[in-house]
Amino acid sequence: MIRDAREIIKKPLISEKSTSMMEEMKYAFQVDPKANKIEIKKAVEEIFKVKVKDVNTIRVSGKMKRMGAYSGRRPNWKKAIVTLEEGSKPIEIFEGL
Amino acid sequence: MMVKLEKIDGGKISLEIEVAEKMLEDALGQAYKKVVKNVNLPGFRKGKVPRPILESHFGSEVLYEEALEILVPDAYEKAVEETSIEPVAPPEIDLLQMEKGKPLIFKAIVEVKPEIELPEYRGVQIDREVREITGTDVANRLAQMQKQHVKLHVLADAPLASGDVALLDFTGYVDGVPFDGGSAENYTLEVGSGSFIPGFEEQMVGMNIGEEKDIAVSFPEEYHNEDLAGKPAIFKIKLNEIKRKELPELNDDFAAEVSEFATLAELKDDILNKLKEAEEKKSSNEVAKRVVETLAESIDVLLPAALVDREVDRMISEMENFMKMQGLNLEKFLSLTQQSVDGLRLDKRLEAEKRVRADLLLDAIVKKEGIEATDEEVKERIGKMAESYGQPVEVIEEYFAAPGQAEALFQEIKVRKAIDFLVAEAKITNVVAPATKEEK
Repeated sequence: MIRDAREIIKKPLISEKSTSMMEEMKYAFQVDPKANKIEIKKAVEEIFKVKVKDVNTIRVSGKMKRMGAYSGRRPNWKKAIVTLEEGSKPIEIFEGL
Repeated sequence: MMVKLEKIDGGKISLEIEVAEKMLEDALGQAYKKVVKNVNLPGFRKGKVPRPILESHFGSEVLYEEALEILVPDAYEKAVEETSIEPVAPPEIDLLQMEKGKPLIFKAIVEVKPEIELPEYRGVQIDREVREITGTDVANRLAQMQKQHVKLHVLADAPLASGDVALLDFTGYVDGVPFDGGSAENYTLEVGSGSFIPGFEEQMVGMNIGEEKDIAVSFPEEYHNEDLAGKPAIFKIKLNEIKRKELPELNDDFAAEVSEFATLAELKDDILNKLKEAEEKKSSNEVAKRVVETLAESIDVLLPAALVDREVDRMISEMENFMKMQGLNLEKFLSLTQQSVDGLRLDKRLEAEKRVRADLLLDAIVKKEGIEATDEEVKERIGKMAESYGQPVEVIEEYFAAPGQAEALFQEIKVRKAIDFLVAEAKITNVVAPATKEEK
């Protein structure tokens, strides 16, 4: 399935954990839950012009949220941890967001 | 750090200060540590946001602002020390360059203590007014004491005379109707003191005890109660008692009663000595004041506005303190005298300028003559203060241990010595002062 790379990669995830992983050339993104690792790899390479070594993915289930008597659910989503090849340039979006 | 000094108009100095890149970087690091503690960003615990993320999120201006607060006062202070200028007001800071990887450059414009050209300060010609204390002065003083110890005698039967104290009942009528506050019983009135409406007391003279009388007066036009002002009134009064004042006789008994001396002659001597002493002190103070004033007037200098303003502030706060002692405050005083704060400031300005001039002059003389305050003098001064405040010496010493206080004390002693020096150098001519008016 060929989709636009920018539809696969939703947004970068920036947190204490993800910033500390950046030292190991690992970057975290929220991605389309239907995308597979190969698609994610290609999308990241295309958007950021970097070399990807590995992709790990996790399905994150949405949290239950209540508004008084009504309960609802946040959508499930997929997190991808992308490891870059050694010597590849860093992903700039994380440097200056 | 590099400092470029430049004199500009109006007694101001502009300092161009360059702070090395490394220092700026350090300050930014410090600033980050300070700022990060208060930053809440989703995904990060408080205080754990890495610097690049913080900078990209809030912009690096946040850090620069903070860094400047750390860096500028420090750098400014050092620059002041380096150039040994004497600022009299906080500086105006102007940033010239503040970029990453470049030294920080800023300009500080500050008013400085003007350098003054000292006039010839030796041999100032001053007239010293000395008033000789004579027997009349002593007699005046004695008469005053007599009045303070006056005795009142109740008279059995005599017409009321001016100067007597009368006990009376009165009821006042305006248009035949009694008015508020217009009546009293057994009111004590000193006849001739002028505390009642004009004409009232005069009409009472000659009355006997128990006599009743109608007194017709009219309220003055400027009477404080507007309803009554200018209206004619009738007071029905009854005289209950007459007390006549009796001055104590001037003799040894009187001396023993009012003083620690046994005889009148001793008391007179003491008064004479005290008056002489006071006169001596007064004229020395006057001379010192005149010497300083004469010199201060002769210096040509542009007074820094900041100094004058500060002096005005000080004078006003002195006034306020004084008022507080009398149970007043500044606002009340202003409304009573129908003045505005600005008006008051304007009033004080001239005097403040004079004082600033004198301060500048004395300061310059302290420097020129190398006047120093010695430890003994400081000790002596502290001892004196302790005495006059009724506090142990240690308490006063502790007070002066606070930063800045000791310098103030030193400065004060130096200035005093400078005044003494000027007086000693001045050419003083003794003149006999015109006789002062009789004291009240």
